[in-house]
Amino acid sequence: MPILEVRNLIAKYSARGPEILKSVSFDVEDDDFFAIIGPSGAGKSTLIRCINRLVEPVSGEIFFEGQDVTKLNSRELRSLRRDIGMIFQEFNLIDRMSVMDNVLSGRLGYTGTIRSIFRAFKKTDIQHALALLDRVGLIDHVDKRADELSGGQRQRVGIARALMQDPKLLLLDEPTSALDPKISREVMALILEMARELKVPCLCNIHDVNLAMEFCNKIIGLQDGVKMFDGPTEDMNEERLNEIYAMEVL
Amino acid sequence: MGVFVFIVWGIEYLDIPLDRLFGMFGRMGSTLANRYYPPDIEYIIDADYFQYVIETVQMAYLGALFGLALTLPLGWFGAYNVTPSRRFVYPVARFATMGFRAVHEMIWAILFVSILGFGMLAGVLALTFFCAGFAGKLLAEEIEAIDMGPVEAMKATGANLFQVVIWGVYPQIRVAFTGIGIYTWDVAFRAATVVGFFGAGGMGWYLKRNVQQIETERVAAILLSIVALVIVSEIVSAWARARVMKMK
Repeated sequence: MPILEVRNLIAKYSARGPEILKSVSFDVEDDDFFAIIGPSGAGKSTLIRCINRLVEPVSGEIFFEGQDVTKLNSRELRSLRRDIGMIFQEFNLIDRMSVMDNVLSGRLGYTGTIRSIFRAFKKTDIQHALALLDRVGLIDHVDKRADELSGGQRQRVGIARALMQDPKLLLLDEPTSALDPKISREVMALILEMARELKVPCLCNIHDVNLAMEFCNKIIGLQDGVKMFDGPTEDMNEERLNEIYAMEVL
Repeated sequence: MGVFVFIVWGIEYLDIPLDRLFGMFGRMGSTLANRYYPPDIEYIIDADYFQYVIETVQMAYLGALFGLALTLPLGWFGAYNVTPSRRFVYPVARFATMGFRAVHEMIWAILFVSILGFGMLAGVLALTFFCAGFAGKLLAEEIEAIDMGPVEAMKATGANLFQVVIWGVYPQIRVAFTGIGIYTWDVAFRAATVVGFFGAGGMGWYLKRNVQQIETERVAAILLSIVALVIVSEIVSAWARARVMKMK
């Protein structure tokens, strides 16, 4: 059974506004590194935010481990979000906090409200955070403030924070768009490596087609909210790419 | 042009005697020299008066503190981007903040004196309401200007409403909130020196008594002491603000 099934998903930003997603369907399997490509404005970010309901879809179904995400109440939604890690384009770190606190914030869903006010995380969480920071190569920067780091380092903190959640699925929203090409490749390689190691499937928005072809095993192509392509990376070719990106000249 | 016409019309309508306005400074000088000079300094160097000064400071402190405590929920609920409910909680919080602001601190003082009787309690409550309205609006605006990225990230980890605010919002407004706190103390202290005018505790009561008894030299001394205290408070808050700036 696929870990994530999306069926006929429709999303809008306002009741009378245009449809951002026009009945999109696809499946993510347990071992996928799944890319969503398409020109800007195609609805990639909206699609990925519908999965953990940072954006509320208008209609359609999203099954995560067989459970319909769109029907969850707020408590159930929180425990769903806990199981889905997310990495952002602009990193979305808490600038004024230390690297360590940023990574630990990935555990908030598992931590009581009172404990989280005093940052009294469990010992196992702290050890886990240190191990992850070591793994992403930031063990020397544990006590630095997040805004003292470079872009690549900041995204590594973002990766560690997402993995702190012990996620069953990773959502990546343009994880490398804010980074230069060399760092982008390093960050993608790190994400792929860790996802394989921890056996976490990934669903990844990506603007850069070359990166998608290199790192992902499946691709869907979106154009103006419509799915134009769905298949393994090998099936993607120049002609289909041109079709997906046809609108970008406008 | 329109402004000029309005000024002329206003002066005409209100029948302002311009010659008296221009002669004001001479008269003010002679009044001050004849009646308010020399200030009766001995009158204010007095244990009783000092007690009232302390009471004023305490009142301002408590009022600012309670007001700021009220400000936290008001600012959170009244900030459009992070309010728990845009349809219900947001308008209620905004309306409450507006209500606190709309009524002048003197009116609050009169109101609480008539409900609770004379004394500090009425003064502290009046200042609390005043500060909540003052700081609530500033804080809500500060929160509305934050970067929503970290807020989104905290939501995505499965954090609850309160955790999102503590981790995603608070670190971004901490410095600004401290600044607002210092500013609130400033205005609270100035307001505290006069709420006593209506019997709500503090040195304002001294001021009123002496004004009514036409003890003008004592009034001059009291006014001087208020000016001195405000200057001290300004210096302290300027120092505190410089410290906060460094904290950033």
